[in-house]
Amino acid sequence: MMRMRNARRGATVGLALASVALLTACGTSGGGGGGGGDNEAATELGETEGQISILAWPGYVEDGSNDPAVDWVTPFEEQTGCEVTTKTFGTSDEALNLMKTGEYDVVSASGDASLRLVAGGDVAPVNTDLLENYDGIYDFLKDQAWNTVDGVNYGVPHGYGANLLMYNTDVITEEPTSWDVVFDKSGDYAGKVTAYDSPIYIADAALYLMAHEPDLGIENPYALDEEQLAAAVDLLKQQRENIGEYWSDYLKEVQSFQTGDTVVGTSWQVIQNVLEGEGGKTAVTLPAEEGATGWSDTWMISSEAKNPNCAYAWLDYISSPEANAAATSYFGEAPSSDAACEFREDCEAYHAGDADYASQIWYWTTPIEDCVDGRTDVKCTDYAAWTSAWQEIKG
Amino acid sequence: MTEAQPAIRLTGLTKEFGAVTAVDHVDLEIAAGEFFSMLGPSGSGKTTVLRLIAGFEQPTDGTIELFGEEVTKRAPFDRDVNTVFQDYALFPHMSVLDNVAYGLRVRGLGKKERNERARRALASVRLEQMADRKPSQLSGGQRQRVALARATVVEPKVLLLDEPLGALDLKLREQMQVELKQIQRELGITFIFVTHDQEEALTLSDRIAVFNAGRIEQLGTPAELYERPVSRFVADFVGTSNLFGPEHSLALLEREGHHSVRPEKMTVSTAGQSGEGVRNAAGTVVEAIYLGSGVRLVVDLDAGPRVSVLEQNVRGRARDDEHGDRVVVSWHDDDVVAVDGAAVGPQNPTPTAAVGSVFPGISG
Amino acid sequence: MTATRAVPAPRRSAARAGSAFLSAHPRARLALLLSAPLFWLGVVYIVALVLLLVTAFWSVDSFTGEITTEFTLDNIVEVVTGSLYQTVTLRTIGVALAVTVIDVALALPIAFFMAKVATPRMQRVLLIMVLTPLWASYLVKAYAWRSVLSQDGILEWLVSPFGGHTPGYGLPATIITLSYLWLPYVILPIYAGLERVPDSLLEASGDLGGRTWPTLRLVVLPLALPAIIAGTIFSFSLSLGDYITVNIVGGTSQMLGNLVYTNVGAANNLPLAAAIALIPIVIIFGYLFLVRRTGALDNL
Repeated sequence: MMRMRNARRGATVGLALASVALLTACGTSGGGGGGGGDNEAATELGETEGQISILAWPGYVEDGSNDPAVDWVTPFEEQTGCEVTTKTFGTSDEALNLMKTGEYDVVSASGDASLRLVAGGDVAPVNTDLLENYDGIYDFLKDQAWNTVDGVNYGVPHGYGANLLMYNTDVITEEPTSWDVVFDKSGDYAGKVTAYDSPIYIADAALYLMAHEPDLGIENPYALDEEQLAAAVDLLKQQRENIGEYWSDYLKEVQSFQTGDTVVGTSWQVIQNVLEGEGGKTAVTLPAEEGATGWSDTWMISSEAKNPNCAYAWLDYISSPEANAAATSYFGEAPSSDAACEFREDCEAYHAGDADYASQIWYWTTPIEDCVDGRTDVKCTDYAAWTSAWQEIKG
Repeated sequence: MTEAQPAIRLTGLTKEFGAVTAVDHVDLEIAAGEFFSMLGPSGSGKTTVLRLIAGFEQPTDGTIELFGEEVTKRAPFDRDVNTVFQDYALFPHMSVLDNVAYGLRVRGLGKKERNERARRALASVRLEQMADRKPSQLSGGQRQRVALARATVVEPKVLLLDEPLGALDLKLREQMQVELKQIQRELGITFIFVTHDQEEALTLSDRIAVFNAGRIEQLGTPAELYERPVSRFVADFVGTSNLFGPEHSLALLEREGHHSVRPEKMTVSTAGQSGEGVRNAAGTVVEAIYLGSGVRLVVDLDAGPRVSVLEQNVRGRARDDEHGDRVVVSWHDDDVVAVDGAAVGPQNPTPTAAVGSVFPGISG
Repeated sequence: MTATRAVPAPRRSAARAGSAFLSAHPRARLALLLSAPLFWLGVVYIVALVLLLVTAFWSVDSFTGEITTEFTLDNIVEVVTGSLYQTVTLRTIGVALAVTVIDVALALPIAFFMAKVATPRMQRVLLIMVLTPLWASYLVKAYAWRSVLSQDGILEWLVSPFGGHTPGYGLPATIITLSYLWLPYVILPIYAGLERVPDSLLEASGDLGGRTWPTLRLVVLPLALPAIIAGTIFSFSLSLGDYITVNIVGGTSQMLGNLVYTNVGAANNLPLAAAIALIPIVIIFGYLFLVRRTGALDNL
């Protein structure tokens, strides 16, 4: 393990100019436990293999079996002849474990999983030149920390969304402009505040500190040294006093906002959509003072893919405006291209393509020891440290 | 003397379980110091009467008096009677001593005193050396004696015994019968003894009430019951009887109505017997059953009925009958008893069987 | 006697020969009978437990999520000394004890009524009523309580006219919900235990002068004690391992099960999860060891 990590660090130093070949040689696959593929991006495509195995978030790969009206898999099968089998996962960590089996050709990975997949050698670089629809994808989604390592692309963006501030409009009549309603001023709503139940939520606190405690020097909410993490933990411990409950199941969040057990806290656009549909008295906002965290998902190809040509076909297909629109609309997030918005009515609600809005979002990415903000003089706290910190916060 | 005051007086005692009448207007007086048995087949109501006296059941109608005091509505713990249960009902988690001392303990006696008295009670049933054992470590007969000691240590005026010997083997049962009789004499209290074993009832009792279908069919001393059964039911249930219906009575006895003759009052010979009041009837031996102390012969009389004859295995008995032998059965007119022909056995087996199945606690 | 008509001898077959062999060799019979269930027990249960134990001594690479199979005591040390684990362990034991006490207090009179007072017909009706909730999914029941305990739930509506309030989501809600969920598991063994106590023992106590309370204290409780303990083993161990109910109605509280769950799921730290999972196992083994002497294990 140590050998691999040193190798990676060495590679990071001279990053920019390194060629694809050099990187794949000394990069991520060498000492890693899981990787077995050659980790070289394909240069040309062959015949499709006739089948493909997809690992995805629920709602990303719908073949009409859940709802006959919701089906963007069948057209893919008809176009490419690739028979699709799907497996869904509930958490990024589950995805990580399943990908290590080598059973799946492609995976929809969130930012807090993608880097770990790359580091574990579980996914292969993707040659975006082979994807017709790649050009149309928003530039602000390309070449980001969660889909590109050392200049090498490991997948295509799928969709993105922000973790928004939701509030009960009966209780909070004026639209908040800051997350302080769930942090410094959370005492006003004691027992009725909610927060996302995951270690990654520490980034929300870090984002708040970034704006309000400049002395801490936080540049990126996913790159926290010991001291910065401790400050975020303190803030979250204070917040806990006023938390009614944490949520990770979005239906639980819907219900507690409906019943009034919760009046303010982090949320997703899709939750607001559900609540609006049921006549809920809630609104969401992206507080301008601090911005927000969010997610941006990436389709990646397994380094042990048995059907690489079908895998490329899927990545290209799901990036196509029509399919992308269908999938992202069903899930409740912004699509990856302007063209997709032609097939959707609700792009505005998700601020699709709004680069200013998007720039306010700090997309989920896995915290690692090598600070993702580029600092080299300190070690950052990694996801394991965040996990134990999160458990400590919850007590 | 308290003779005037009966230990127990039941007046119009009735108990219904749903549609089934288990006890049907029973009137009964039991004298103080009496060894009284209630005899009857399963479902005849005898155990229910016992449970009503103990207070485990509430009567539908009628009253129960204990030495002139009405106790009908009182809880079991407020009645001066104690019970020896069919299954002994010893507390399995307590030692023998604690079992016997239980009645004294719940009466608030100090540990020292109650243990002393419990030990004395155990000594009276010769089990003092078993005091520290658990009931499960005792034999059936020993448990029986512990149950007896537990019930008598609180000095009740009346002791109720619900088929207490039913679970013992024959030898032990005979031995316990003697002991029970002894204990009753020593304590001088009233024993009310429920059994379906007529021999046991005859052996032990001063008086017996024969129960049938919730009523008392006959009440009397053992000799009265045996020698002068009033009904076919009693004649048949208490000992065995040769019963003659009206038709056979007329033919063989030249009398009207139902009659009974005990098997041991009949003899068998090849030629028949003569004398005042002696009657003879020819027949064929169907079966000869060797009993050790005697032989039971089953004979088909030419006149119709099949009779059972009990011959004593006395010295000089030379006959050796077997199937198919022609014989003459003889008896004396004085041994013929006229009986009430109304009922034989539990007349209505179906409802009484239902009592047992619907109310598992009730039998007898 | 005349010659009897011949009854044909049973046909000889391999099955018959096998049966004959087994009939003559009781040990072989036993081995054949037990091998399948023992194999199942051995593989699925014992091996899984041993693997858990072994995993607790490994560690995980924090970035790639790969398990390193080098022996280390770090997880055990962390679990034993970490204040987080001590707090959560104490909270979990507290919840499990509270649930157990509440369940026994509720189950005793219900079970006594069922076993000793109700008519056989009533007994069957009650038994079905006790069992019915078991047919509904655990999740459905937990979410039902979530809605009952909500700020605009039935409980609030019921008690607010009297100045009361729903406890809301938190530990009290967790204890209430768990007590509800495990109540049938406590009633059933106590009911079965009381059912086995012959009625004549209660009658004997009354007959000897024992009123209701002495009868309950000196006869019923001692005899039902093993069954009561058997019931507490259910409520205690089920509460100890729960993480779903506390997630649904527990507000911000977490129990040992949640720590295991986060470490298996979110943190992907199986070795630490295994080490945490050993806490309830140790507690339960301790509890079983304590109650072993009472004979309660015969009542499970």
